Amino acid sequence: MGNDDDFMDKKKPHKARHSGVKAKKKEDKKSKQLPTDKQKNPKAFAINAVRSAENRFHRKQDLKTKKHHIPIVDNSTEEAPPIVIGVVGPPKVGKSTLINNLIRNFTRTNVTSIKGPITIVVSKKRRITLIECNNDINSMIDLAKCADLVLLMCDASFGFEMEIFEFLNIAQVHGMPKIMGILTHLDSIKNIKALQKRKKLLKHRFWTEVYQGAKLFYLSGIQYGEYLRNEIKNLGRFIHVMKFRPLTWRGQHSYILADRMEDITNQETIRLNQKCDRNVVLYGYVRGIPLKKGNAVHIAGLGDMKIDELQALPDPCPMASKEKKRNLLEKERLLYAPMSGVGGIVYDKDAVYIELQGSHSHTRDNTEQSKLVREIIEKKQTFDEQIQNQEFRLFSDGDVIKSGDFQEDIDESGSENDQEMDDDSGMDSEPENDNLNDSSGWNPEDENDEENEGSVGSSDEEYQEIGNGNEFDDTIDNDDDDDEMIGSDWKEGVADRARNAYLERQSNNKSIMKLVYGKYHQNSSKNADSDNEEEDGKIGGLFKSISKLQSQIHQEKQQRDAEECPFFESDNVGIRNWLSDDNKSLVVNKFVTGKWKSNEDAEQLLALDDMSDGDSEVYGDFEDLETGEKFEGKTVKKDESDDENENKEEVKVSKKRDRVEEMNMTRKELIAKKMKLKAKFDSEYDNPELKDSHRIEDDEAFYEKWKAEADKQAELNRKEFSGLDDHVRSEIEGFRAGLYVRLSFKNIPCEFVTNFDASYPILIGALNMSEENIGLVNCEVKKHRWHRKILKTGDPLIISLGWRRFQTVPVYSKREDDLKYRFLKYTPNHINCHMSFYGPITPQATGFLAVQTVTNDITEMKRIGFRIAATGSVKEIDKSSSILKKLKLVGTPIKIFQKSAFIKGMFNSDLEVAKFTGAKIKAVSGIRGQIKKGISSIKEKSGRHVNVEPGTFRATFEDKIKMSDIIFCRTWFKIDVPQFYAPVNNMLLPIESKSQWTGMKTLGQLKREREIRNEVNEDNLYKPIVRQAQVLRPLKIPAALQKALPYKDKPKNAPINPKQKFEATRVAVVHSPHEQKIAKMMKMLKANYQAKKEKQKEQSTKKYVDKIKERQKGEFQQLQKQKELKRKIFKALSKKETDEKDGKSRHKKGFKKSFKKD
Amino acid sequence: MAELTFKGSNYLKQKLILATISGKATKITDIRSSNGGLQEFEINLIRLIDKLTDGSKIKLHATELEYIPGILLGGKIEHQCCLDKSIGYYLDVLIAFGPFCKHPIEANLKGVTNSPDSPSVDHYKCSAFNIMKRFIIEVESFELKVLKRGMKPLGGGEILFKIKPVMKLRTLQIENSGMVKRIRGIVYACKVSPSFANRTVESAKGTMLNFLPDVYIHTDQNKGKLSGLSPGFGVNLSAETTENVIYAAEVVSNVQGTLPEDIGRECANKLLDEIYRGGCCDSTFQWIMILYMALSPKNVSKAVIGPLSQYSIKFLQLLKEFLGITFKLDTYEEEEDEEETDDNMRSPKVVLACVGVGYSNLARRVL
Repeated sequence: MGNDDDFMDKKKPHKARHSGVKAKKKEDKKSKQLPTDKQKNPKAFAINAVRSAENRFHRKQDLKTKKHHIPIVDNSTEEAPPIVIGVVGPPKVGKSTLINNLIRNFTRTNVTSIKGPITIVVSKKRRITLIECNNDINSMIDLAKCADLVLLMCDASFGFEMEIFEFLNIAQVHGMPKIMGILTHLDSIKNIKALQKRKKLLKHRFWTEVYQGAKLFYLSGIQYGEYLRNEIKNLGRFIHVMKFRPLTWRGQHSYILADRMEDITNQETIRLNQKCDRNVVLYGYVRGIPLKKGNAVHIAGLGDMKIDELQALPDPCPMASKEKKRNLLEKERLLYAPMSGVGGIVYDKDAVYIELQGSHSHTRDNTEQSKLVREIIEKKQTFDEQIQNQEFRLFSDGDVIKSGDFQEDIDESGSENDQEMDDDSGMDSEPENDNLNDSSGWNPEDENDEENEGSVGSSDEEYQEIGNGNEFDDTIDNDDDDDEMIGSDWKEGVADRARNAYLERQSNNKSIMKLVYGKYHQNSSKNADSDNEEEDGKIGGLFKSISKLQSQIHQEKQQRDAEECPFFESDNVGIRNWLSDDNKSLVVNKFVTGKWKSNEDAEQLLALDDMSDGDSEVYGDFEDLETGEKFEGKTVKKDESDDENENKEEVKVSKKRDRVEEMNMTRKELIAKKMKLKAKFDSEYDNPELKDSHRIEDDEAFYEKWKAEADKQAELNRKEFSGLDDHVRSEIEGFRAGLYVRLSFKNIPCEFVTNFDASYPILIGALNMSEENIGLVNCEVKKHRWHRKILKTGDPLIISLGWRRFQTVPVYSKREDDLKYRFLKYTPNHINCHMSFYGPITPQATGFLAVQTVTNDITEMKRIGFRIAATGSVKEIDKSSSILKKLKLVGTPIKIFQKSAFIKGMFNSDLEVAKFTGAKIKAVSGIRGQIKKGISSIKEKSGRHVNVEPGTFRATFEDKIKMSDIIFCRTWFKIDVPQFYAPVNNMLLPIESKSQWTGMKTLGQLKREREIRNEVNEDNLYKPIVRQAQVLRPLKIPAALQKALPYKDKPKNAPINPKQKFEATRVAVVHSPHEQKIAKMMKMLKANYQAKKEKQKEQSTKKYVDKIKERQKGEFQQLQKQKELKRKIFKALSKKETDEKDGKSRHKKGFKKSFKKD
Repeated sequence: MAELTFKGSNYLKQKLILATISGKATKITDIRSSNGGLQEFEINLIRLIDKLTDGSKIKLHATELEYIPGILLGGKIEHQCCLDKSIGYYLDVLIAFGPFCKHPIEANLKGVTNSPDSPSVDHYKCSAFNIMKRFIIEVESFELKVLKRGMKPLGGGEILFKIKPVMKLRTLQIENSGMVKRIRGIVYACKVSPSFANRTVESAKGTMLNFLPDVYIHTDQNKGKLSGLSPGFGVNLSAETTENVIYAAEVVSNVQGTLPEDIGRECANKLLDEIYRGGCCDSTFQWIMILYMALSPKNVSKAVIGPLSQYSIKFLQLLKEFLGITFKLDTYEEEEDEEETDDNMRSPKVVLACVGVGYSNLARRVL
């Protein structure tokens, strides 16, 4: 079968034609710009429906602008640091398994214990650092600050736990790294439908937290204690194609995630004192922006530190070689994890373990390297000691000089050219070579590395040169150098020479840096301690150059208190007479009337164009449309410059001719120059960005320009220092991201070493300028909705801001409409408020989060629900607070006149009153007034003066107040923010209680712990309300008033007997028989009459009804008749019309007649 | 944090400026230990700094100064400058702090406006502002008005200086200084005969016309209160290039009296000196360029300037001390070395390149 397949596969491969008709056709097709479809058939592309075209256009623009981001200068380096991947999740979710599997996937090695960061090479261009996050909010915060990608793991059978949401919140505040969710334990859900439902549910919940469409990975189960290989492979692929967007905070700070820690304290000092401060070395990749030597750093969980030493080391986990190949070689799949004991050497407390990779490492290989290593191992002394003990004799009968005596001297002079000094140490005795020290502060090796390698002698010569420039050229030079006060009454020629010498030095010196920084090094070290000076004088303990020393000290003293002069040259010494011909020629070309640079000179540019025309036979091919346009550009340029310097052409005609001649001489060069310009133009012309944006050029062009600027800057950032020596480069630029550095710190508390736990990330964040200072931080804050309690002013709060975690005491306030910050006792719910606290100065708009405790206490967590108490961002830095609290001063009147009154009890002294004179006050009844003046006594009715308590004052009101009124004065009182700032130093805690850091406790906590309860104020208790019935006195109306009242308002005083009723007054009437007869008769008559009336009425209604009926009938008949008539008429009319129409269509002429007939 | 220690009174102003900007505590000892400790003008300067900052702590002893800087506040201030130094001495502080204050500075400075010891207000107006403009995006962010002129011994001048804060400076790349296209100038005369001014103009213009026809020199005659308390006159010339670089020079009359012609000629020569040195900024204000470059965002800034003055060298050293920033300094080699210009003929130029420290205005409130 296989053979068959091979046979079948062997078809003749296609060969493209290189010559002949077909090839030519193709060539033509390629070279000729064929018309596009749009050009061929423009109608097909015309807009048919305007509205929909408009909508289409809008949509297109929307999509386009959505993709725009503010251009950021890309500061990435060629060798990027490994990507930090944090694996985060609640315990027992499978984090370690995942890391293990990922490592296995990428490097095919097994890591037994995962502790600390593990760096592996993933692909040709990518390395990753995996780090597991333990279940401690401190670690979660630190990790969120440094991770580039977070793998958020979740047990699908359980669902999202609070830790996940907390972590998401933390990450969001500190600049949202990329987040990828991973669901594990999917195999515990057996029912497929339920599983699918579960997945969907979790996915959507995840999306609402992160963003719509966030990647959620499913690890469907575990086989033999591992995730499925395919799924891990996929995850790996996702990781190594992931792109990252720069984050603001990390784009402004450098940081290091330390992956190795060593204690380098002298063992003897530790033996003497177990608790002595340690010297610690941390290692890691620089990330973010370049790290500078002078930077202060903050080690999260430890505090602010000064870097004692900073060095770049060779990369322990280098990127694969640049060779062109598809995959990584097996030996390039490196793994570096010193804390987990994989990097080779593990340092334990009292031993060093070296891991041997399999049995093959037992074979003794005799390569040069291993020999060297063995030699080093076998050495009894350290290198330092060896160097210290090296001896050498200058004179045959002289003392033996130990190199150790030199050591300090060299170090202090700030030069790092140890080797250099060793070579020269013999020559140090010569007095001239004192200069060597002076100028070598700026590491001179850097400038002439190549020379140096060849011979040391050559570099010495260089020093001599500098020395000459500095001191030996001219004896007066010294004065000039130190202070520019060249005695104005000195000879003029000297000044001139001095100036020239100064300029010359700047121009001749190969490195001005040496001049500026080199000398200074020495200076500053002298400033630091004057003892050093003396040592400088004693060279190698052999010679003393006292006079030199004296003069130096003298000079320095002079310099110290010299008057500073901002001008280039003080006074008017050495100003040339520029009108003399020699001098004039120096400066004349600096003016537009002088000679221009050839690429700027309009005349020359024109000439160039002419020349190119003349040469067009040679470069015939270039003469196309584009050049035509180019000429246009040229002439325009010429016009511009013409305007500027019309005069020039008038003045210097003769000179120009000379120049044209000159041009002819260097014709070839000029042509080359022209070609360069042409290429430049071509590239500009061909640039589609500039050409094709016709429609909304403005917006596009603006964005493109901005982007181009950022790109240009990024390019410059990369290129500017790339040629420099690493040492100089790190001095100027700092240690750029991607370098593996060693940071040593001095005086770190011993607990950091003794209680070291590798599972806690060591995050070293650099602090920018003035961020190490502490001030008042004002910020906007919002209590988290899920946090159950509101926050109280004065309760300590743990804040994670910038690199730091610290506890501080915040004061809440609200910004009122009059821009006043009003003190708030508690944070409001669901809205922002203002918060001020005493803490590290941090740039504005930096996000922060606050938690009340960082202890891992389950009861506490249940009580508050969600640990993140609040989130916010910094608004402003201050040194003094401006929070005001409302304060009502209360007073009572002691004497009231018509509109003024004496008020007491508001103030305690006349001084206070004086301060508040003119302040507005208000009575409870709403009467407004003003404070007038303090009084000391009042006059009683008896005429006696009585002293009143101090602070009583006179006030005037708009109306008379009552004695029962209380008088208020509304004032504002400035609240100070408590100056409390305590970094959370959980790194120092013992391992078992690392997550139990408690700082200052809240008042509530303390009270709860000690069961202290406030005594109840009886008045505040609720009691049953007892209301007594009101007893009113009878109303009395004066007699005179009563008389004047109308009757209805008069009090009805006459008694009405309510018992006498109408019935009682009635009398029975008894008729006589006659009367009875009459009554009966009358009754009958009445009934008769009524019956008659009824009948009549009935008849008349009937008549009326009949009549109406009759009328209606008549009307109906009439209507009927009319209808009939109408119908006839209309029928006739319509008939006529149809006839007309018919007639019209048949014989048009007969139409009118027939109409008339009708 | 650790304190920086210095000795001597030299460059006290620059040290205080940098200490405030970097927020580093500074101690200066042995200030003129032999003759009189801190001088009045220095104490006056410290007072001005105190007005501009909030929360700074200053301890003064006879020959010692301890300074713990606070934050830059700015705002409206009035300041009577010491008459030993001209207002220019104090203006340096405002220029260095101005962009990084919480509130815009509106400073009313009184004292000597023009004197030979420091750059005069006119000098600032024409060339210092030109440098600042390159770093500050907003066009109308600074302004200097000379309300009254005051000459040396008694002063009596008054200026109004306004500068608005910014969040960040711009990075600057400038290499081409262009060619001088126009010369402008101002001749001021206070309490002297107007003919002095005219004679000065004549001689200055006479010299400059040898090089360029476009020369305009204004005269600023002041009378009464506007002319301050002492007589004097002087001239300030500026040269603008095609790339909008401005060089300036200034000469002020001595108290004893000088010939106006001499002053005009001297100033013209000084300006020519300045033009000869070249570069993209005035040599007097190299420090502004250097400071702003150092404080710009964390990108590479690059500029070509004339030979470094002693003052700039010291300033660079101080910058390294305070901000930990090292400049890359190189001699400038022009692209086309034309044969006729010898190396001796051209004055040496310096290419400054640095990565800014990314200083941002921390004091200002954001929305």
